[in-house]
Amino acid sequence: MSTRSGLDPHAGSSRTASSPGTRRVDFGRRVLVLRRRKVAVRLDWRAVIVCAVLALAIACMAVLALMTGSYQLSPGEVISALTGGTTGLAHDIVVEWRLPRVAAALVFGAALGVSGAVFQSTMRNPLADPYIIGFSQGSYTGALIVILLVNGTYWQLAGGALIGGTAAAVAVYLLAYQRGVQGFRLIVVGIGISAMLGSLNTWLILKADLDKAMAAAAWGAGSLNGVSSAQVTFGAACVAVLLVLAGMSSRQMRQLELGDDAAAAQGVRVSATRLRLIVLGVALTATVTAVSGPIAFISLLAPQIGRRLTRAAGITLAPAALVGALLCLTADYIAQHIAPTPLPVGIITVMLGGGYLGWLLITEARRHL
Amino acid sequence: MTDLALGRPVGPDTRTVPGPRRRLIGLAVALAVLLGLLVASMMIGSTAIPPTVVWDALFHPSKDIDQFAVRDFRLPRTVVGLVVGMALGVSGALIQALTRNPLADAGILGLNAGASFAVTVAVGLLGIRDIQGYMWFAFGGALIVTLTVLVLGSTRRGQSPVMMVLAGLCVGSVLMGAGSALQLTNPDAFDVMRSWDAGSIVSRPLDLLWPTLPFFAIALVLAFAVSGPLNAMALGDELAVAQGVRLVRTRIIAIIALTLLAGGATAIAGPIGFVGLMVPHVARWIVGPDQRWIFAYSALLAPILLLSSDILGRVVMRPGEIPVGIVTAFVGAPVLIALVRQKKASGL
Amino acid sequence: MTTTHPRRRRAALTAAILSAALVLTACGSSDDSSDTSSDKTAAKTDETHTVKAGNGDIKVPNAPKRVVTIGNTDLPFIDMGGKPVGVTGVEESELSLLPEDQRATYEKATDLGDEVDLEKVASLKPDLILVQIPDAEFKKIEKQLEAIAPTAFWGLDTEWRTLADSIADAGNVKDALDSQKADYEARIAEMKQKYAGLIKNTKFVNLDRYSSSDPGTFVIADIGCVEIAQEDIGLNFPKAAAGADPLAYTSLPFEQLTKLSKYNVITYPADAKGQPTEAFAPVVQTNTWKELSTVKSGDALGVFCPGNNSYGAVLRYLASLDTALASLPAAKQ
Repeated sequence: MSTRSGLDPHAGSSRTASSPGTRRVDFGRRVLVLRRRKVAVRLDWRAVIVCAVLALAIACMAVLALMTGSYQLSPGEVISALTGGTTGLAHDIVVEWRLPRVAAALVFGAALGVSGAVFQSTMRNPLADPYIIGFSQGSYTGALIVILLVNGTYWQLAGGALIGGTAAAVAVYLLAYQRGVQGFRLIVVGIGISAMLGSLNTWLILKADLDKAMAAAAWGAGSLNGVSSAQVTFGAACVAVLLVLAGMSSRQMRQLELGDDAAAAQGVRVSATRLRLIVLGVALTATVTAVSGPIAFISLLAPQIGRRLTRAAGITLAPAALVGALLCLTADYIAQHIAPTPLPVGIITVMLGGGYLGWLLITEARRHL
Repeated sequence: MTDLALGRPVGPDTRTVPGPRRRLIGLAVALAVLLGLLVASMMIGSTAIPPTVVWDALFHPSKDIDQFAVRDFRLPRTVVGLVVGMALGVSGALIQALTRNPLADAGILGLNAGASFAVTVAVGLLGIRDIQGYMWFAFGGALIVTLTVLVLGSTRRGQSPVMMVLAGLCVGSVLMGAGSALQLTNPDAFDVMRSWDAGSIVSRPLDLLWPTLPFFAIALVLAFAVSGPLNAMALGDELAVAQGVRLVRTRIIAIIALTLLAGGATAIAGPIGFVGLMVPHVARWIVGPDQRWIFAYSALLAPILLLSSDILGRVVMRPGEIPVGIVTAFVGAPVLIALVRQKKASGL
Repeated sequence: MTTTHPRRRRAALTAAILSAALVLTACGSSDDSSDTSSDKTAAKTDETHTVKAGNGDIKVPNAPKRVVTIGNTDLPFIDMGGKPVGVTGVEESELSLLPEDQRATYEKATDLGDEVDLEKVASLKPDLILVQIPDAEFKKIEKQLEAIAPTAFWGLDTEWRTLADSIADAGNVKDALDSQKADYEARIAEMKQKYAGLIKNTKFVNLDRYSSSDPGTFVIADIGCVEIAQEDIGLNFPKAAAGADPLAYTSLPFEQLTKLSKYNVITYPADAKGQPTEAFAPVVQTNTWKELSTVKSGDALGVFCPGNNSYGAVLRYLASLDTALASLPAAKQ
């Protein structure tokens, strides 16, 4: 792992670990210490401010997304629809169409951000995301089989994607397992399985009716079109549980960032912890993928942008989640408005991701070299 | 998003490496297998054509329709498979050496995305439908993207492998997104592209291939010419400079060679993935870290993988066929996984 | 791509099963297929009737004024003289096969995109929505569409004649449909009589190649327009065994062209001028094709298939087939 890329997440020590601080430690920056009963949380001022600004930006973006669409509604109409003052089409459009979509973008964006953070910490690779272990291609295979061969319903599609993705991830993990899982072997096996599944996917798309193939490809690009409130509620419930679990693991995550040996020295059971974190990361991605298809790059970008904004030494979860939500929301807004007809959100996130890397190259990486 | 393991240096191999004699024997065996596959590729097909007819088709040509089938269909795909395979193998080895990333392939520099985007534009916006037409777009797209990546990935101090990979990812992602947007809003383009994306060495007329051969030959010579300096660079830029290697010149030659090879192969056959990634990787396991040997082995092993996949694709669904780009991963990936389970990962 | 577009395959497939019943005697003809009956009936827009669709019995207005077509309902509806206000994306290759007036009608409608922009649908204020898309896709947007206007949906496996009947019923273009049907039945009867000898004695094979076909491959197509020649006229084309996938699902490498000598007549896809389609051109360019005895003797016929999911398109196919068959050496005798 080179530190020269400017992307290295494990270049420093743990910072915001919650510990009952008794000794005074100079952290080199201003921190906010919250003491309540026996727990004290030390928060970085900068992180707090960044999170607040992000939350504000998300709120603005959400309002914008609720207010605008190809169906013209005045702000007054939108507000009265939201407060239950309107019924009929205006109510449906705002409450049944726009609101679930905004909620989905928020929740799934956050989930992807956290998932990426978990993976990047676990793999100690700034470009690791759950897709490297074959989950993405596997879920696409599952979805393709449901769309093209079974002609299944929405929930079957979600199930197919989940089963496919999980099967691929489990296969990769098992094939890479030899008295523990070593990161590099996991990546090689992941590449191999992904390549096979990718070929299978190309073949399925090639042999399908054009209409179905295009519907499948739109799903494969990651799309929030037609997301219903039932789907969002279900997805949000899953994500909420997983986010709590992820928050509880954040300490071990940071210890793993220091390296297997250092983590083991601090009493972390490295292999078991890594497996648990991988499962958590995959489960988050899986939930999103099941509902909306694989939305690329958010899991890769959000943790890195979050780290950069807070100038933190390692990956932290809260900024990653907030950046993820903002990215997904903004990308979906662009996807709906940039072209004459709406595009899948995943297409925009891919391009945003590329743009971000370009910016990174031109500014930061150049300075480091 | 699979080939993202970045910046992991290809360290000096600590395992025992076979001596030159055994490596030469291995090379001879690979050559024999390749020759056998070339013959098999002429003999095996969807229809049963007797060996005598195949022989006559090549050496006593007449207007028999079976002979035409051999000359027009089996011969070109065999030659194309050989050339494209060599190009993919050597370009993969070049990229892995250049980026010091044992899991890099042409895709990591955005080359496939560039070619694919250019073809999408040709098909979707310009209405070009025949392979002769969009082949050049694919090549141009690959060329422009590689140059962009080179420029983006350069600093005042020269090119850094990590930055080039990041630049490739950057350009590749933007083009992939734009290409998907074009395809999903243009069903006609989508229809053509789903076939092109599969990758195939069939139906590429030989008169299309001949003019490109000199370029492939030059690129191969260039690749082998820089294999020595690349060896030195594997140990680090400073050490290489100390040994008298001119870094910038080596990198530029390597990039020209790999663009011609990978760009040419992709232009002819579409994005056949995995060959360029897996073959040099396996070659490194066999012969150790010496780039010259890796290049030589890659040049033989890649067409072996490609031709055997193509032959397999002809027989498994007879009388139908599966495009070679689909089959390679199914032939190659199990081999790769078996190997990575056998080898100690530190030997990579 | 001209003939048997893959998106039409399923619809075409079931055509075989139901087609026999529809071959009836001719009863007069009228070439006017572009009449809009919505004005004639002068029904009040608030009067409704029930239409049988894939999503149940749907109450639709008797004289819908603003119809949105989503998926494959667009071209059949336009073919029967309907004027939709909103349509989803149709490939340029398919649009280019339409008569000019139909194309103009299509282009006048608002494009809703491939990933249907629901708010745009709503802003068109339609009074009827006609949909034929994959089931799973429809499930996703069913509730939203129904909130906008009465929505009639048919699955992709709906037989094209049934679809035409249903669309005509829902979209109030029945008169145009009746006249097209009459033309169609007359044409079939005429061709059956004219080519009785060919029907009895000649072994046909229909080839095709799609834009998405693997390079260097073609198919023996038993779906698409050829089903009409096979089932309705009775020409002897090869057919997949019952229950098996259609022959057209197997792409055959060009080597298999050498096996075609066993057929008397080959039909292949051509454009309106009789030239091989762009997708099929690579087949015609091979030496093997040029050396085939069938090709040399002039028994390879290019046939224009502008679509097989509406009567207007099928009628144009039959006209092209008629011209082609008439040019056969065997038919001239």
